[in-house]
Amino acid sequence: MQPSNELPKYAQLFIEGLKEAGVSVVCAVPESLLAGVYRGCARDNSLRYIPVTNEAELPGICAGTYLAGKKAIMVMENSGLRQACEPIARFSFCHAMPMVMAMSFRGEWGERNWWGHNHAQTMEPILNALRIPFRFIARLDEIKPAIKKAYYHSDSSNWPVAMVFTGECVEVPAYAKN
Amino acid sequence: MQRIEAIKAMAAVITKDDLLTTSIGQTWDDWWNHKPADNTFFTGILGSVSTTALGLAVSLPHRRIVAIESDGSVLLNTGVMCTLGKERPPNLTVVVMDNGIYENIGGPPTHTSAHTDLAKMAEGAGCVNCITARDIADFDRHFRRMLDDGEMGYLVAKIEPFARHPWEWKDRKATDGIEDKYRFLRYVEKLEGVVIHPGAVQN
Repeated sequence: MQPSNELPKYAQLFIEGLKEAGVSVVCAVPESLLAGVYRGCARDNSLRYIPVTNEAELPGICAGTYLAGKKAIMVMENSGLRQACEPIARFSFCHAMPMVMAMSFRGEWGERNWWGHNHAQTMEPILNALRIPFRFIARLDEIKPAIKKAYYHSDSSNWPVAMVFTGECVEVPAYAKN
Repeated sequence: MQRIEAIKAMAAVITKDDLLTTSIGQTWDDWWNHKPADNTFFTGILGSVSTTALGLAVSLPHRRIVAIESDGSVLLNTGVMCTLGKERPPNLTVVVMDNGIYENIGGPPTHTSAHTDLAKMAEGAGCVNCITARDIADFDRHFRRMLDDGEMGYLVAKIEPFARHPWEWKDRKATDGIEDKYRFLRYVEKLEGVVIHPGAVQN
């Protein structure tokens, strides 16, 4: 079944927030919880959307974009944090590189997939180990301010930051409706 | 072909208007002594040299971008080839210094010393202009063409193992990763006439 052309509200706000923050490059490993974001970015000609094969590719693309004087965001499921951990650690600890990442919170309270719980269980310990400040974004009205502040925080601290999307700000799995 | 020969050939045509990324390894000292300016981001992350160059290439499409890779770095993150093959940034040239060994740690072989062919892998991943150069004349000819042909290029330079140039300590790369970032960042600011990192905001 082809996905609907209509973007869900959270995805519209996410993409509007990127544009208002001056983001020009969106790199990602697509997944289901932020599906509308990937779909919307892929068809938006004002964004350079770069899908990759592995989350470990994302930090380099973000760093290169930053060093070019532009803004990038890396988008993934929280499981991708584990794949991307080595380049994130190197770019931050070795190069003090700003980097803004957005990830969906797989393993939220009520998760029904047995394979999804480890993502939530390992995410916060990894972010804390990497000393990466993060915020959970659960309400629609939080999306745009969070994106704007993420760039301020990352640029001035010379360090990655993470936004973790959940609640109203992700796709609702079919099993969770009603 | 020795790596230092390939580096000298690159230095003969790279200008201060070009931007580069480089892999960790002996390439750092070789290129440190031949770079025309602070126009190189010495990437301290194996597997992230080409991705950093990709970010530069898509963001600065008017500028020639070169990634100086190593076989060890490419092998650590081969999916990047597929992303390069999809994006095909026309201003990007990837040069892989392929000596078939992990030279910095004493020389255990990489898979390119067995059966792995990086140029064929890149071609299969969708990259264009994928060439393996086995002598300096070939390398020089292909590198010059790839820089200016308006298409991406993927040039694998088969270089001699255990042929590191004996740089004296005073001539070895002296900077750390944070200084590398700032040198490169400030260089791009001047080159592009932009402010990337303004420092403190007074409010």
